[in-house]
Amino acid sequence: MQAEQQYSFQVVKWFAYMAVVYLVIGTGIGVFIASQLAWPDLNFDNPYISFGRLRPLHTNVVIFAFGGSTLMATAFYIVQRTSGVRLWSDKLAWFTFWGWNLIMLSAVITLPLGYTQAKEYAELEWPIDILIAVVWLVYSFNFIMTLSIRKVSHIYVANWFFLAMMVMITYLHVINSLAIPVELFKSYSIFSGVQDAMIQWWWGHNAVGFFLTAGFLGIMYYFVPKQANRPIYSYRLSVVHFWALTFGYVWLGAHHLQYTALPDWTGSLGAAISLAMIIPSWGGAINGMFTLSGAWDKLRTDYILRFLIVSLAFYAMSTFEGPVMAAKTVNALSHYTDWTIGHVHAGALGWVAMVSIGALYHMVERLWGTKIWSVKLVNLHFWMATIGTVIYITAMWVSGIMQGLMWRAYDDYGNLAYTFVESVAQMHPYYAMRAAGGLIFFLGGCIMLFNITVTIRKAIANESAKSAAVANAVI
Amino acid sequence: MTKLREYFQTDWSAMTGTDWFGLILTVVVFIIMVVVYVWVLNPKNKESIESHRTMLLDEDEIKSEKQDGRE
Repeated sequence: MQAEQQYSFQVVKWFAYMAVVYLVIGTGIGVFIASQLAWPDLNFDNPYISFGRLRPLHTNVVIFAFGGSTLMATAFYIVQRTSGVRLWSDKLAWFTFWGWNLIMLSAVITLPLGYTQAKEYAELEWPIDILIAVVWLVYSFNFIMTLSIRKVSHIYVANWFFLAMMVMITYLHVINSLAIPVELFKSYSIFSGVQDAMIQWWWGHNAVGFFLTAGFLGIMYYFVPKQANRPIYSYRLSVVHFWALTFGYVWLGAHHLQYTALPDWTGSLGAAISLAMIIPSWGGAINGMFTLSGAWDKLRTDYILRFLIVSLAFYAMSTFEGPVMAAKTVNALSHYTDWTIGHVHAGALGWVAMVSIGALYHMVERLWGTKIWSVKLVNLHFWMATIGTVIYITAMWVSGIMQGLMWRAYDDYGNLAYTFVESVAQMHPYYAMRAAGGLIFFLGGCIMLFNITVTIRKAIANESAKSAAVANAVI
Repeated sequence: MTKLREYFQTDWSAMTGTDWFGLILTVVVFIIMVVVYVWVLNPKNKESIESHRTMLLDEDEIKSEKQDGRE
């Protein structure tokens, strides 16, 4: 209870719990739409639950509801702990919480109704975009003001990663969302043609780079050393990692538009910088993993640490795979295929979700001053998350490469060897396999929600019993 | 060589104000990044930078979860 008085943890607790709820909802929708691809009858001829409308709902819930809540919980937690002060404003923190959840509720209502700007990872219509900008700025302002009143002279590197995310997401979201409203829920982008595509993917890749990478690296730089109880392997490497990532990521968007109307040099530049980004990305992954140097045995017993370290292995893998796919030769095969979906989920499930899950388990124990109710269930969750992710991405690799090869196969006369429908038919077993992998991951999330709910309820019950005992003793 | 020169050929007169802004900003940020690397990787600065490695663990001692954030 003392910690709660010194720090503003109530809002952190709510963000952390909602993150787990959104993990279950977002992956649940993901499993359903993956099943729709394997068994199209599941669309039920109902537009509100058709794949086209639920797919953006899935991405919005997992990225912004689950990822966003995790980022807000951890940023508010880390900035207080590393600055030695409470949040600058509790009221603004609660405004952020309710505002962010209102945005997510708006997504749940508007996307199935078909209101969309049709911009990937930025589908929500203009009134919601304005609300996102306001809530995001309030969140960032509160974070920055908390840093400004810190009692410690040095700003720990995790906070730098959060700052980069806040600055860049503000910039990217505002520019990408510039639109002319024509109705309450209809607007048109101010950009057109190839410029619109370029702005879209400048945003799209940096949503990955700054929202799903920089922020989560902030999480990694705090929670890996804390959970391992060891100093970060190299602080100098973390500084190099930060600046290289911040400088490099903004260039990459064009690699999404190889072989399109975009000028050739922009795609080449995007691919070249993408390849260069392997160096800082692997530097960061190695920095996190080597933090365990001399204490690798902790992985045998500490299941929370397992989540954090395995997430770094997936981070290293997906940050190698991404640049390879950006290279034009590979892109000619991989683009528009399921390989891209597999790559995205290696990062989303393996890196983002796993590092978040590790951080959330860590925080639940400390925020409620207790131990997790069932370590066995954490262990079970770890294996379900890992196996589910591996099944998912393996299915998509095979499916994607097969698609790419079938689409560009020619016979002796220069005719396409396969029709598109033939390639779709070939995908079926892999789509079923992907749904199974996603289902395993989703069930792991359900176990987590159950485990932390019981943990929190027991912690609250114990606290109440203690308070009652103290009150009785006083009487 | 000619091909390489052709590849990097730029019509400077066609550069707009936005182009110049972007170009200058990019070059300036790149130079700052190089300066940061030189500073970080200079052996003289190693000790002072690496001293922050233990910050999180020090936090446990002075403003820790154990001591509930008190000095």
